Formats: sequence, C-alpha cells, structure tokens
Amino acid sequence: MLRFVLRRVAQMIPLLVGITFLSFVVVDLAPGDFFDTLSMNPSISPDMIREMKVEFGYGQPLPVRYGRWLWRVAHLDLGMSVAYRVGVLDLIASRAMNTVILAAASMVFTWALAIPIGVIVALRRGTLLDRSLSFVAFFGMSVPSFFLAFLLMYAALETGWFPVGGTTSLDYPILSPLGQIGDRVAHLVLPVIVLGTGGMASLMRLMRSQLLEIQSADYVRTARAKGVPEWLVVSKHILRNAMNPFVTLAGYELGTLLGGAALVEAVMNLQGLGTLMLDAVRSLDLYLVMGSVLMSSILLLVGNLLADIALTMVDPRIDFSRLETTVR
Amino acid sequence: MKRRWLLALCAVAVFAGSLGCRKGGEERLRRGDRLVTATISDPKTFNPLLAVDSASSDAVSEVFEGLVRLNPKTQLPEPMLATSWEHDDAGTTWTFHLREGVTWHDGAPFTADDVAFTFAAVFDQKVPNSAKHVLMVGGQPMRTEVVDPHTIKVMMAEPFAPFLNSVGFDILPRHVLGPALADGTFTQTWGIDTPPEKIIGTGPYRLVRYVPAQLLQYARNPAYWMRDEAGGALPRLAERTSLIVPDQNTMYLKFLDRQLHLYGPRPEEIDDLRKRSEDLEITLDDIGLETGMLFVSFNRNPAHYSKDGKTDPRLAWFTDPKFVRAIAHSFDKQSMIRNTYFGYGEPAVSAISPENTTYYDPNLTPYEYDLEAARRLLDEGGYRDRNGDGIREDVHGNPLEFELSTNAGNQVRERLCSILKEDWTKLGLKVNYRPLDFATLVEKLSTNFDWDAMVMGFTGSIEPHASSNLLRSSGNLHLWQPNQQTPATPWEAEIDRELEAGARELDPRKRVAHYWRIQEILHRELPMIQLVRQRRFIAAKSYLVDFVPTVWGFFEPERIAIRP
Repeated sequence: MLRFVLRRVAQMIPLLVGITFLSFVVVDLAPGDFFDTLSMNPSISPDMIREMKVEFGYGQPLPVRYGRWLWRVAHLDLGMSVAYRVGVLDLIASRAMNTVILAAASMVFTWALAIPIGVIVALRRGTLLDRSLSFVAFFGMSVPSFFLAFLLMYAALETGWFPVGGTTSLDYPILSPLGQIGDRVAHLVLPVIVLGTGGMASLMRLMRSQLLEIQSADYVRTARAKGVPEWLVVSKHILRNAMNPFVTLAGYELGTLLGGAALVEAVMNLQGLGTLMLDAVRSLDLYLVMGSVLMSSILLLVGNLLADIALTMVDPRIDFSRLETTVR
Repeated sequence: MKRRWLLALCAVAVFAGSLGCRKGGEERLRRGDRLVTATISDPKTFNPLLAVDSASSDAVSEVFEGLVRLNPKTQLPEPMLATSWEHDDAGTTWTFHLREGVTWHDGAPFTADDVAFTFAAVFDQKVPNSAKHVLMVGGQPMRTEVVDPHTIKVMMAEPFAPFLNSVGFDILPRHVLGPALADGTFTQTWGIDTPPEKIIGTGPYRLVRYVPAQLLQYARNPAYWMRDEAGGALPRLAERTSLIVPDQNTMYLKFLDRQLHLYGPRPEEIDDLRKRSEDLEITLDDIGLETGMLFVSFNRNPAHYSKDGKTDPRLAWFTDPKFVRAIAHSFDKQSMIRNTYFGYGEPAVSAISPENTTYYDPNLTPYEYDLEAARRLLDEGGYRDRNGDGIREDVHGNPLEFELSTNAGNQVRERLCSILKEDWTKLGLKVNYRPLDFATLVEKLSTNFDWDAMVMGFTGSIEPHASSNLLRSSGNLHLWQPNQQTPATPWEAEIDRELEAGARELDPRKRVAHYWRIQEILHRELPMIQLVRQRRFIAAKSYLVDFVPTVWGFFEPERIAIRP
C-alpha cells in the first residue's frame, strides 16, 4: 500500500506542472492584463503603470516567468497578488475557513438528504412518492442557484426568520460563545439550502439507479430466497454493494471544497474563495489565479487518491495491484 | 431517518428565527452609537498612497487626513492638518503652518517631518502612486524644507494653481513607515493582512477590525483634535461599520432589512423606497447630478484610417463639423433618461458637471434633439441618399456606415447605444453596434486605435486639471487621437494653451475663465458628444442628525450623530 501511495504522489508532480503551465499560458494569452482598468483611469499616469509592471516582473518572456513561478512554488511561495500586494497564500488562507465550512456543511446536507431519499424512492419505485420526490429534486436542480438565493433572501426579509446575507451579525464579537455558534449556524442555513439543492437531484438519481440495478442481482435474489429479513437485505447486501461510485464521488468533492461558489457567495454576501477567485480571473491577477488553480488541483488529486484508498477498504474485491494498472 | 433531519432543520429554523427578528434590526441601528454603511468591494490595501481604487481609499478615508480637504459645499480647500498657508510672489514656494498638538493614533506627535516624509514617498522612484504625476510640475518633483516642527515649505519649478486642490493626499507617519521607505519595502507595507492596530493615522477614527469580504470596523479616536462650536469632542459617533456587500441587489435587501443606515439607491429603486419611506423611517434626498460624464466620441486618429496609402472616407466624416453637429442634434436625451435612469437624470451639456459650481460653464447652448436640423446639416455637408437605399452617401458615393461600441456588460451604456443606433438609423446612417469586453476595448483605445464610435464615461473631480490627461493633445487618454506630438488642429492647440494657462493662474477668479474657454471649444468642436447625467439619491434613516450628503461626499462627516 505504501508503495502504491508513493507512486501515485510521484505521478502527481508532472500532472501538476502540466496543469499549471497550461493555466499560465491561458491567462497570459487572454487579451489584456491587470493594468487595463488602471490605464483608463484619468488620475493614473502611464508612468505609474510602467513602474508597477516592473515591480511585478511583467515584460519578461513567458517561459522565464513560469520558470520563476515554479521555482518559488517549489519553495512554498505562491507569489504576490498584483491587486493586493499581499502573498497569495495569505489571501487564500484568510478566506479559506468560511469556504470550507460552507462547502462541508452543504455537502453533508446534500448527502444526508439525497442518499436516504434515493433509497426510499428506489424501494418504492413507480409510486406517487417516487415521482413527487423526483420532481422536487429536479426542480431544485434546474432553478439557478443565484435565483434561489435571491428568493430565499427575500423570503427571509419578509418573514424575519433568517438573517439576510452575511456570515455573522454585527454584534457577533460581543455574543456569548454559544450565541456565536448559533449566529454562525443561523447564517449558514440559507446558503446551505441553496448550494445543497443543486447537487441533490443527481446524487439521488444515482442512488436510485444503483439500487434498482443491484436489486435484481442474483445474490439479492439468493438472500431473499434463503429468508434473510428485508432490512438486512437492503442494508447488508444492496447498500454495501451500491457504495462504490459514491466513494469515488466523495473524493472528487474534496477537490471542489476550496473552489467556492462565486455566484452564491456574491449574492448572499459570504466571505469566501469563490468571489476572490472570480475577481482574480476577471482582473487577470495572474499569481492569485495560479495559486487557486494549484490548490484546487492538489485537492482534486489528493481527493482522488483518498477515494481509491477508501475503495479498497469498503470493497475487498478491489486490491492495489489491480488499481495500479487501471488508474486513470 | 429523513424525519429526524427535517426535525433538526425545523429546530435550527426556530432558533435562527429568534435571533434575526426584524424590529430588532431597527432597534440595534437606532440605539447603537454606531453608523453602519455598506461598500461594494474589499479594500486592496490600507496604505492610502498605494490605493488605485475607490474601495481602498474609502476604507481609510476616516483614518488619515491631509493638510487640507475640499469642502464639498463650498468646493474650496479647508484647513485640516495645516491651519493656514501662503505662497510667495512667484507662486513657486508654499508655506504651510501645521496644527499643533495633533498626535498619531499611537501617541507620537505629528510634525513637519511627517509631511516631508509623505512628499518624499510620493516622489519616490519605487513607489507607484497616482499623486506623483499630478504633482510633477514642469517634469520635476517638488522639494520640501522643514522650517520648524510646525512649518514646512514646499517648492516647485513653476507656479501650479491645482496644487491646493491636489495636496489633500493623506499624510503618513514617518516613525512607522520611514524604515520601509528607506529599504525599498514601502509598497509591501500596510497590505490588507496588516493587523488593524498597526495602521496609524491622525484621523477621527481608528481601524479596529477587518474581516475580509465581510466588514470594516472603526472606533473613535478619543484624542482627535477637531471640536464643534460648543467645544464638544468630535467625531460624535463612537463607532463606524462598513459592511462589504459585493452585490448591489443584496445591498438593497440589507437596507430594507434594517441593517444599514444609508443606501445610495439605483434609479429603479427610488419609487419603491419613496413608498416605503415611512415604514423604513427614512428620508430620500436628491443630492444632485453625477460628477462625471458620459459621451459618444468618434475616432479622429489618422493612424486608424490610412492603410496602403489610401485614406478611409470615415476620417473625413468624423472630422467634419457638419457631421458631428448633426450627430449632436440626432439623439433623444429625454428617452435616454427615461430608459436608463427611470426619469431621474438631465441632458448633459458640458464636459464638466453642473455640480462643479466653480468651473461649470452655464452659458453653453444645448444641442436640442432635432432630427430635421440634423438632416439639414447632413444635406449641407453633401451626405445624401443618392441611390435610394435609405442610407446616405458622402460626395464620393461612400455609404455612411460605421461601428458603434461600448463596454459589454455595462447596462446603462448598452441601452444608450441602442437608442443612438435607433435615432441614427432614422437619419439614414448605417450603424453596426458591437459591444466589446473591457480588455478589447482598452486595446482598441490605447494600442491599435481600431474603432469608429464609442460610448464612454469618466469620473469627474472638483479640480478641472485632473482631466488634463484626457484634454491635452499629448495625453494618453485623449481618446479621439491620443499621444499627439504636436496638436493636430488649431482648437486642440488652443485647449493645450488654456490648460497650461489655467494651471499657472493662481487667482481663482481669473482661473475659471480658462476652463470656461475649454468647455466652449469642446462644445463647438464636439470631440466628446455629451449624453446624459444621472440624478443621485441617498436614502438615510431619518434619525441621523447633521447628515449632509452631496455628490462630492459627505459634508463634515464627523458631525453625524444618531438621535436617540
């Protein structure tokens, strides 16, 4: 197992270099640069822009700049944001906590609802319950998340049940510790619902189809034939076998954990990485964009690896020697 | 299992409901000794000298002060860290007498050394900042001389009238930032990761908390020097909070949710707010027209039109006074105001906003919307429909067809473009409307000059010299033909001369004449055909006392108080 993990980690390095080089080229080829907005500002002189370009090493050929960036990354220095003049790592760290909390909470929400619902509708296939729950799930998937965010915030404004946007209220620093947790949770409810409903339908449908497929497998029929109680059939024989794709999926979701949800973050006024990155991409703040690409790629690759390791644990049929030849 | 989850959700909902009660919001706003406002984006730096965006300069505007500040009502400089000033007869040496007894937030005394240090930072080679090029007079940096701890002389190469209006930049503490300027790390100081207590100013408030993308919080500087008439301490409010709300719709919802004291509504929200004003306990103030300008400009740059020894006919049209005057008469400003500003706007006449009461020239005759006059002018210029296809041709038979662009995503400008296209089509012009993304637009305006007509806008300021980059023929933002070696036309040469004279004239009354002349020339030659100006409003809780908003900013914001 250790050999397998080491090998996979070694494989990540050329992959990361490839991903970051491509992103670097793409950002560089995009028309314009960070200084475009400044150049249209009457109070900023061309001299000032020239000075800033020198300061941030613009004007050197692309391979040189990429090489330098890579060298710094190897020393755990992600460079400096042009817009903020602050280290990229510090910027990302300052926003990461909230993004992770939000992403984790909405992931728990999605999974905790989608999987039981998927099981129920699969077991009650074709009934009114199946159809109505599927309808609700698809409705959730097809409503644009920012629109749902506005609807819920408007509802919150009218009813006063939930705070309208933000992650904490103004009095947060003077609340008791318990009050602080409550305040956080209250602010999390709406965003979690918005982000969670989007992913619910696909998970639920996947669970449903997995279950339906396995329900007709020979070993399920055998189990039923030898008189195993129904709940044992479902939990031990069906669910256990249906798990594999979900383990893989969970690994992928780790990669999106730091991605943030820019639109919902902007609309619901949450402090997160999504808006930071969207701004960075829009203003072509090169090193900030690169920093986020790097972080998400690493998370995705690590998530993938963790999922594969987890797979061998939940499914004894899979072993490392086979994995090594079949990995993507 | 599902039921348990629903139960848990309900419990959370009830719990949250008890927290976020609406009337509670109003209570908190009214009772607190704190002003809560909102801003659309995060500051990028806390170093006021390095700020290139309004969010960054706004974030520390109450933390730092300049020698003077522009009073938004009188639009004249008023004493801040300097109590008085005078210049010598030549107008090249200014002496500032500094306020005594002022201390920095960390208790250190404020002296002339701090002012000299700030000037040194402005002119430092390694510090890119926007004050530098404004204050480079005759291409040379200003020199300072500390006379005594409370007197400083500033010397420049030539008399420079915009000096007082431009010297309001924030003064920085030498004892804090001096070492960084000396070792070349000044540009990395006071980034947004700096602990707030390390940001040292002299202003009425100190920064006490910054949560990225969430809020900025300030506490009163108890040692602040300013007093009101009765000798009472200023500022009146103990705290200020600025929420960072990146979405305008969300900001509006937060105002309706009683989380903010103030809100600058968009035109479409004004009627709604007026209806709710009693319920929300707000007053809605019309604070005047916007200070910037929105215009359509035609490309007059020969570089764009001469290819392979041939000159494109468009250059002749766009530099023909008859053509541009016809254009100035050709669009319906009232319909622009209705469609883009919901009726809250005025036709624009001059390049300087009427809100600039010192320099705005009120004597210009507006170009009225008059399609008949426009047709007559085009006919006179020889632009007629010669082949009956509904499109006019010039004397050489070239159909009048050109491209109209603006930056895509700016809804106001996109709507203005569609109105222009509609009216111009009525005139017999063929207009191809092409919105551009911002990077492409900048490339066209500053690098390849490949554009015909463009709807653009600029922000305005009280000091008219601030637009010299745009007005001077050698300026890089002289859109219609930038970076000219020598002025291409007599009127551009005249504007250059007037700008020069206006910058040298120290008598404020005589100075105005130069800028009136510039507005006259611009109005006659129409390099920028002015469109419309939006009317600005501020909605504020009616229990705010001494709250006087203007389009140039709040008047004496340190007096704002909350009536209990």
